[in-house]
Amino acid sequence: MIKHWWKVLGAGLVLYSLIVGLSVPLKSGVLDVSPSMLQGGKSYDLIINTYNATFSDENPIDVWIKVDDDNALAARAVKVLGETKLSAHFDIPNYFPNEKENWAYSIIINDKTNGAFIRPRSIAVKFDQINKEIWKNNPVGSLYKIDKMTFPFRSVLYETIRNTYYHVPMWFAMTIIFLVSVFYSIKYLRKKDPLVDLKVRSLTTVGVLLGFMGLITGSLWARSTWGTWWTFSEIKMNMAAIALLIYLAYFVLRNSFDDEEKRAKISAVYNVFACMAMIPLLFVIPRVVTSSLHPGNGGNPAIGGEDLDNTMRMVFYPAVIGWILMGIWLATLLYRVYKIEYKLLDDDV
Amino acid sequence: MFLVMKNIFLHLQCMNLGTEILVLLKKELVLEWRQKYAISGILLYVLSTVFIVFVSARELDPSTWNSFFWIIILFASVNAITKSFVQEGGNRQLYYYSLVSPLAVIISKIVYNVGLLLLISILTFFTFGLFSGSPVQDLNQFWLAIFLGSLGFSITFTFISAIASKSNNSATLMAILGFPVVIPILLMLIKLSSSALGLETKGNIDNDILILIGIDFLLVGMSIILFPFLWRD
Repeated sequence: MIKHWWKVLGAGLVLYSLIVGLSVPLKSGVLDVSPSMLQGGKSYDLIINTYNATFSDENPIDVWIKVDDDNALAARAVKVLGETKLSAHFDIPNYFPNEKENWAYSIIINDKTNGAFIRPRSIAVKFDQINKEIWKNNPVGSLYKIDKMTFPFRSVLYETIRNTYYHVPMWFAMTIIFLVSVFYSIKYLRKKDPLVDLKVRSLTTVGVLLGFMGLITGSLWARSTWGTWWTFSEIKMNMAAIALLIYLAYFVLRNSFDDEEKRAKISAVYNVFACMAMIPLLFVIPRVVTSSLHPGNGGNPAIGGEDLDNTMRMVFYPAVIGWILMGIWLATLLYRVYKIEYKLLDDDV
Repeated sequence: MFLVMKNIFLHLQCMNLGTEILVLLKKELVLEWRQKYAISGILLYVLSTVFIVFVSARELDPSTWNSFFWIIILFASVNAITKSFVQEGGNRQLYYYSLVSPLAVIISKIVYNVGLLLLISILTFFTFGLFSGSPVQDLNQFWLAIFLGSLGFSITFTFISAIASKSNNSATLMAILGFPVVIPILLMLIKLSSSALGLETKGNIDNDILILIGIDFLLVGMSIILFPFLWRD
């Protein structure tokens, strides 16, 4: 049992990421605000649709239009239309304290049960005058904070933000496993031990499996966020598919040799060469060819940016470690199967 | 044929790498000259493909021009390079093994194929120009792209053909092993040449060129390190 601690750890982390990743709710968020184009000098009843929030008449609800860090406009009255629907009455002045004319302002909702939440850049206001003197400021007041563990609410992503814990770790695990397989390929070329070749075979099989799972989870994600299963304008998606083609070709190459030693040697050489060719494919080209919809490309935030907040990190990093360990475990199991096949074949001869 | 080669190899005793490469290059040239069908076949292949492209498309806008150009060169290079290891049978390979170092074999093949691909690219470029006129605005950069492309294709496909020649169905293997591996180079080339065509802004073209050279260096290094493991059965 002590010897197998890493398998227990891997399975535990994957299980943890599945349970926590799927069960923790999203933070409350604003789905849409209408109307979103406002004219200064008029009064509006803004209809606000929210997600994962429960409003009731018992708690007072604050709604602000946030102008900048110091200035905000508070709603005159807030009505609860439904459990997730609000109506906020605003008198929009015809003068604003700074010159961001027609700029999209953020909307902030604050109450006791749901905490405070914000929808950035959701309302545009057209006004005539910049005047700091007569501007009546209602700064954003004391905000409620909820202690519950929640994942961030992001428009476009919504609930699919959880896919971060499954889609991204697949690629991490695939890369690590391919690198380990290259290490064993080099070892084979030095030692010429047929069992080492079996290790390479099992590792590459698991790597391809993880790659396919990464591609499938990515395709599902693309369907719900970009509206398509597959797009050729997305460089990372296509480069990943090509990386998998390289490894599928590896298996074709393996199968085209009858002689065991020749097969092991030539496929080891190809594995090292292909892995080196894959480095520009996965890590250089997507950074140079900038037309990508992925986070981290073309100005989108990525891991380490604001997309991965602390609660997400608590699930994401364990998931990465868990899938790497699971991949290695799977490879050792496959290796044992191949080894038995190999020994049986040896005994027959 | 064998006699000619024997003559060439006679003065091969105790030579350094440089002369070995030169001798092998001379051998490649002599072989190509003797078997004219191979080179003329490739050139005819390029001509007829370009002809088919223009017969079917009539007029090409610059971005289609660009992609057709590189696709034709890609396929012509695969066809031209496949034979570099396949055509020399096991016995002759064995003969080389006893005479020269593996480094000399792979480097001479790569250098020879760079020359061959340059010839093919230049021919393609001129036939394209003949049929439709050239949309290229920055000619120097386009020549650079052609040179770097020949270099990259030659390195990749020569090494892949060394792998594929070990198998019985080498023509199929050549395509499925080679195409995915060559895609990074192809994408960078299309980017480089489309900015030479004026389709893209020349934002940081130096960076792209450096990346292309970096990929070429990486692959040539891998070929040189791995080929000695590959060549002896």
